Amino acid sequence: MSDMNHTEGRSRQVRSLRELAQPVQPPRDLWPAISAEVTKTAPVVSTVKRSPRLQWMAVAATVVALAVGIWIGRTVLPMGGATSTPPATAAADGPASAVLDASLVTDPRYLKDRAQLIRGLEAQLKTLPPQTQQKVAASLATIRQSKHDLEAALGRDPANALLQELLVNTYQDEMRVLTSVHEAGDGQEI
Amino acid sequence: MMAMATSSGTEIDWETALIQRARRGDSHAFERLYREYSGRVYGLCLRMTRDAAHAEDCAQEAFINAWRALDRFEVRSSFNTWLHRIAVNVVLGKRRRPAYSAETTLESEQLNDCEWQLDTPVEESEIETAIAGLPEGARDVLVLSGIYGYSHGETAQMLGVAEGTCKAQLHRARKLLQERLNLEIS
Repeated sequence: MSDMNHTEGRSRQVRSLRELAQPVQPPRDLWPAISAEVTKTAPVVSTVKRSPRLQWMAVAATVVALAVGIWIGRTVLPMGGATSTPPATAAADGPASAVLDASLVTDPRYLKDRAQLIRGLEAQLKTLPPQTQQKVAASLATIRQSKHDLEAALGRDPANALLQELLVNTYQDEMRVLTSVHEAGDGQEI
Repeated sequence: MMAMATSSGTEIDWETALIQRARRGDSHAFERLYREYSGRVYGLCLRMTRDAAHAEDCAQEAFINAWRALDRFEVRSSFNTWLHRIAVNVVLGKRRRPAYSAETTLESEQLNDCEWQLDTPVEESEIETAIAGLPEGARDVLVLSGIYGYSHGETAQMLGVAEGTCKAQLHRARKLLQERLNLEIS
């Protein structure tokens, strides 16, 4: 097997077969071909129609999950202006991918959809139980605060890929909350 | 495994976070998972197929299948094992096509211990070559249980054979490897 290139050119000796179980990098990047397929199809997700009660519960669950996620993000983030060390997974892709993500934030279609959802938010919220309304309001407030903090941190460290990605994630989280509220309200597609 | 970020006692499992994002259709998150696991998936495919081009095809298809099946992945289980299962299915599926020859010889001998120690250290490239020269069935079992450490049950399930067959194939692989490397395996 001449393609075990990680082993060739070296005289590493092994005493156990388990020592062979190291990753072997493919000779070429397979991602472009995978990506072409992946962008064609979204992961298969269940599309069972939920009852109104389940929809409310789903909104509440989404809101709680996002609030926890945002809290974790804010706990980990260096909001005090300290220099951050992005985790290996974020650093590996470099700023280019983050720039691609960041373009979403200024996408006119996104801005239009968001404005439309926000306009209908108040009316949709009234159709939800009071407890869920409170959770949605609290979650949106946390999201806005996160956006503010992230934008401030990015002002100090504009090239930080992790901060850029977290900002985009926060925008996506906001859209998920708004969409969940919209769908739980009248069930109509945007 | 993927890095965990820790700050003020808060720990984030990036792998789980990426899987969840990928499930929501985020291909960027899935690319990160690919970058993390491509070596492990390709390594397994290469050892099973003995051919770099086939291994590339199989690894590529495995990741595409994984993307399509992400909703069925249980977050509590090992993502690496799940990907390996998919990769094994892809390799076996391709073998069943006419262009690939099938190898079905089975023996009934059994062997329980699959963690082998070599009495004398061996050059890595030498042992890889010897493994590559094993018959298909014996090689598959050796790669999964001998190298990647899957149990006989897991290996048998991945390959779609009986556990007894799996043990027999492992015994066969051991004998052949011993002969080819001319050394003792304990």
